[in-house]
Amino acid sequence: MIPIRILNRKRAWAAVGRRFLTSHAAQNPLSPPPAAAAFPGHHGLPFLSHLSSRLARPSHAGAGFPSSEGVSIGNFELILIVLLCWRWKRRCFSGSAAAGLPEDGTVDVPLAQTGEGIAECELLQWFVKEGDEVDEFQPLCEVQSDKATIEITSRYKGRVSRMLYVPGDIVKVGETLLKMVVDESQAPVQSVDSQVPIKVSGNLDGELSSGADLNTTGSGGVLCTPAVRHLAKQYGISLSGIQGSGKSGRVLKEDILKYAAQKGIIESSGIPLGDQLQDELGSVQVIENPSDKKVTLRGFQRAMVKTMSMAAKVPHFYFVEDIKCDALVELKASFQKQTTDPGVKHTFLPLLIKALSSALSLYPLVNSSFNEDAMEVVLKGSHNIGIAMATPSGLVVPNIKNVQSLSILEITMELARLQQLALANKLSPEDITGGTVTLSNIGAIGGKFGSPLLNLPEVAIIAMGRIQKVPHFDEKGNVYPASIMTVNIGADHRVLDGATVARFCSEWKRLIEKPELFILQLR
Amino acid sequence: MGLLRQSEKLGLPLMNLVRFKGMPILDQLNLEEKLLRTTSDNWCIVNDGANAPTVVMGVSGKPAELLELESVIGDNVPVIKRFTGGGTVIVDEGTIFVTLICNKDAVPKVQPYPRSIMSWSGKLYDEVFQGIGDFQLRENDYVFGNRKFGGNAQSITKDRWIHHTSFLWDYEDRNMTYLKLPSRAPEYRSARDHTEFVCRMREYLQRSAFIDKTIKALDNYFMVQPATPADVNSCQVAKFAHSTRLLSKQELEDACSSTKPGTIAQSASI
Repeated sequence: MIPIRILNRKRAWAAVGRRFLTSHAAQNPLSPPPAAAAFPGHHGLPFLSHLSSRLARPSHAGAGFPSSEGVSIGNFELILIVLLCWRWKRRCFSGSAAAGLPEDGTVDVPLAQTGEGIAECELLQWFVKEGDEVDEFQPLCEVQSDKATIEITSRYKGRVSRMLYVPGDIVKVGETLLKMVVDESQAPVQSVDSQVPIKVSGNLDGELSSGADLNTTGSGGVLCTPAVRHLAKQYGISLSGIQGSGKSGRVLKEDILKYAAQKGIIESSGIPLGDQLQDELGSVQVIENPSDKKVTLRGFQRAMVKTMSMAAKVPHFYFVEDIKCDALVELKASFQKQTTDPGVKHTFLPLLIKALSSALSLYPLVNSSFNEDAMEVVLKGSHNIGIAMATPSGLVVPNIKNVQSLSILEITMELARLQQLALANKLSPEDITGGTVTLSNIGAIGGKFGSPLLNLPEVAIIAMGRIQKVPHFDEKGNVYPASIMTVNIGADHRVLDGATVARFCSEWKRLIEKPELFILQLR
Repeated sequence: MGLLRQSEKLGLPLMNLVRFKGMPILDQLNLEEKLLRTTSDNWCIVNDGANAPTVVMGVSGKPAELLELESVIGDNVPVIKRFTGGGTVIVDEGTIFVTLICNKDAVPKVQPYPRSIMSWSGKLYDEVFQGIGDFQLRENDYVFGNRKFGGNAQSITKDRWIHHTSFLWDYEDRNMTYLKLPSRAPEYRSARDHTEFVCRMREYLQRSAFIDKTIKALDNYFMVQPATPADVNSCQVAKFAHSTRLLSKQELEDACSSTKPGTIAQSASI
């Protein structure tokens, strides 16, 4: 394996806050010596070739803790390394000698190293032949290692110039599998062990943004970043006792965590919470501009892309109204004062929800769903009122079922239950399906009001702004303070018209402004 | 549409569950390869027992090294070479198969390389076997204590991966005699022969309980949706060249002959 040659470019990385040190070709006995020619006009620019192969761990490896072997195809590490080199090239560094690109642009594509002991793979089949043009990420061949067959894809766009093995051959890690001719513009750099796993992209990020040199000295010559060194120190672990799974035997953060887990220093799922949250949001890649970060959407965020795209296709109209909440504020205060159960926290929402249900009884069209294909509107029997919640994992809308049959206290309890589950990311499918109308209490965070998008296949969504004290005029022209909440009702104009929504809103407003009217509905 | 919405709402990817009973292992493997290579959905295939004793080798298995060929040929045991890596097993009605085919982004924190997938599968089955036996993922096997009852194999493509397992709910001791002690074995095997190395899952839980618990555990990561065989068929392209194949008698005999030193290879009489 030909290790990454990373140049110490203080100036280069000042803008991005990173520095790199040259690593040693000699560290890996399997790697052929780097090509000696300097790259004309680009003072010692290293040549990186990438291979997105994923290799198995050896069968003796223990289970459990995810480690930094194998590689995957990360578009990330590809883009990262390609762009890193592109920047270097552009800045025309001078510096310590590194292998340059031979004039003909031929790249050695090695069987990359996983980092932990796997020494060889069997080549099963080629997908290309000599002379073929290949695209980036196009499968080149299939290898087998231990329990897995793995497709190896190309990191470059280029042409296969020579294949060095035939199916059935055992290829040692680090040996060149094939040679490819690539364009100069594809960040020509020497072949390296490109197997930085996607999982460790956070790690890479940590390495890059450490703002300090990769330290090859100290701790008995163990290669690792200062951030990793600091982590080891935190756990009281000697680096010399750890086998590094990164490039050129570098000790990575995950090696430290795994070692610590094995030693019982931390629990085996000991990825720091921050990283877990980061993982929840999506892996973070660093490309080009240091202030930009690319986040791959997963989970709720990914779902949101789909649902909002569909919602955007529906013709919405918006009805905005101010609602006087003085009576509501007083009522809530009264509930809080009188409550005997300390576990129950009274807020405005249950009252608003119950009032909404009353209004829906009078205007059932607002509580319906629209089936465009059948051109039919289903007037829903239950008032399953969804409450939009912002959780660490993203936007989620659980609903309270059958609000028409629930008391305000019952609504309060159910709301609390759903909020707890949402925060813990433990909502069940039952909780988040079957909603008939949605309330978005964006005011809890702040703001006057929003223009919400429908939660399909519902036909109405109500966004409530924050209750704010503003000056109002009474009948005699005197100014008095009033607690006003601005609401914005988004509606599907294929089903609802302005008049219906306006009347519905008036009814809802009436109940909120005069909550004593609830008594009329008591049975 | 309703289920699609549920999965979107939850943010969990959809997984199509296909259940078979007594499906021939060759058909199962062909189906799996087809679903892996020609669809972009997540699948779970459960085959509750193959139909007849069959030897299944990994993609680069060499019959002469792995099998007692004379008995295999003599007893007409079919030998299959599958498209995934890994070792050799003999499967029959007592084997339960669970296969997971996933897009590389399907499970958060699981990267498309062998160790990551294997590790996640260990966690999945941790939930299935919670409180049952001393279950763990050991090297690449599922064990109770130090006895293997589930073997794994994988194939990883550019955007997807398959992880399939054969579980020894029950087995015939006699069938194990078709397999040689492999030269490549996990360390914990410690050179034990088959009968000392493997164990039967039936001593720990019922077949149906195992399958139900597995599906329930998958629910934590996917929105599992039953698919019918018709759904399966509609997803597949018409022509697909599968790599799993049945070895011919000739191949087995040739392999058998090649292991005998100093003899000329001859066709065995039929």
